[in-house]
Amino acid sequence: MINQPYPISCKVNGQTITADVSPEMRLLDFLRYELDLTGAKEVCGEGECGACTVVLNGKTVNSCLILAVEVNGSKITTIEGLSDVGNLNQMQEAFVDHHSVQCGYCIPGMVLSGEQIIKDHEKPSRDTIKEDLSGNICRCTGYQKIVDAIESVSETS
Amino acid sequence: MIYYAPTTLKEFNKYCQAHDNISILAGGTDILPRWQSDSSIKPKVLVDIKKMNELNSIQYSDKEIIIGALTTIQELKIDPIIQQEFSALSQSAREFAGVQIRHRATIGGNICNASPAGDLIPSLYVYNAVIEIAGSKGKKRISIQKFITGVGQTALKKDEIVINIILPKSNEKSIFYKLGLRQSMAISVINFAIAYELDGNGRWKSLKIAAGSVAPTVASLTTFANALCDGNNVDESIQLVDNDISPIDDIRASSNYRRSVLKNVLKFTIKEIYVG
Repeated sequence: MINQPYPISCKVNGQTITADVSPEMRLLDFLRYELDLTGAKEVCGEGECGACTVVLNGKTVNSCLILAVEVNGSKITTIEGLSDVGNLNQMQEAFVDHHSVQCGYCIPGMVLSGEQIIKDHEKPSRDTIKEDLSGNICRCTGYQKIVDAIESVSETS
Repeated sequence: MIYYAPTTLKEFNKYCQAHDNISILAGGTDILPRWQSDSSIKPKVLVDIKKMNELNSIQYSDKEIIIGALTTIQELKIDPIIQQEFSALSQSAREFAGVQIRHRATIGGNICNASPAGDLIPSLYVYNAVIEIAGSKGKKRISIQKFITGVGQTALKKDEIVINIILPKSNEKSIFYKLGLRQSMAISVINFAIAYELDGNGRWKSLKIAAGSVAPTVASLTTFANALCDGNNVDESIQLVDNDISPIDDIRASSNYRRSVLKNVLKFTIKEIYVG
C-alpha cells in the first residue's frame, strides 16, 4: 500500500518541528525515532498502561493511540520538556524525594499524569489522585510512593 | 494510506464521494489498537474529522442538550449540566477508561463502534437519545435504538457521519452501574442504566432500563420494567430480565455469570431507589 507522506508542523517542548510523516506512523514512534525523545515508552501499545503518556494541547494522552499526522498544528510536551536545562521541576523533585521510582519505566507517564492531576484539582484527595492515575500502570512500587509524591506537590502548590 | 483532515461537512462529503474504503478517525482509541492486532484492516483512505469544528460543542436549551459528536468523554464527565440532569451519562463517562483515553475518545466514536459493551450506550437508550446524521443528501435524525443495528454495526451509510447526539430533557433521574474485572480501564462484564420518575406516593411514574454486554446490542429491559410499573414486586419480576437478554460466554465472563450478576445487582439497585 502506498503511504503518501503528509507534511506536519507542531511545537514539541517549545520547539517548532516540521516533518513529512507517513500517515501510519504513530506519535510515539515519531517522538522516539524521529526526534530522539525516548522518555515516552512503549509497553502495551494499546492504551492500557500509560507508559507512552505525553501532553497534547494541555491534556495527557497515550501517544501510542495517536498518529503523528493528527498532531499537525498542536503543542506537545514530553517528559523531556518539564525540566529547565537540567533542573527538575517540582513534580520530578517530589518523585525523587519520595523514592517513587524503582525500574523507572512507567515514571515519565506517572509524572505527566501527576502534573495533570495538580492542574485539574485544587486539593485532590488520595482517592482522586488514585482515580486519575488509573490510566498508568506501575509493576514495581505498589503506587503508594507515587501517590505520596503527587500529594506532596498538591499540598505545597 | 492517504490521510485527509477536512474542516467542513462539505469537504468531508467531497472525500467520501471520491474514494472507496474510507475509515473515519475521531479519537482513534479503538481503531489504532485494532490496526496493531490486524494490519490488514488498515483503510486505504483515513478521514480525520477532528478538525471539523461544527462537531465540537455542547449546546443547551430548555428542551434538550445537543452534544457534538466530537465531544470527548472527559468533556462529558466534567460538564456541570450533564452531571446534574443526565447523571447516568456523567457516571458512565467517569468510569470510562483512564484520563488519557477520556481526553481523546469521543461520544460519536463510542456509538459508531457500536460495541455491546459500549459504556455510554445504555444511558443514551434510557434517555431516548436521538442521533443526528449528515450525508450527501442532507441531515436526518434517528433514535439510538434504530442507529445501532448489531455488534459493531450501525445504520450509518457510506457517505454519512454522526454530527450530534441529542438528549431530550425530562424530570427523570438516572443512574449507571458498571461491573468490570477491575475498577479502572476495564471493558464491562455487564453495565446498565436506569432512568425513572416516582409519583407523589413513591410509585413508579416511569421506568426505563437498558443493559450492556448481555446481547449483541444494548438491551432494553422493557418486560421487567413494565412489570414493575404495573405494581409487581422486584423479587418476583426479576426473572423477566431473562426474556430481554441473550448473553454469550467470552474471555471476560460466562453467559450464566452475566445473567446472575445482572439480575442480582439490578435487584439491589431497584430496591435502593424504590421504597414503595
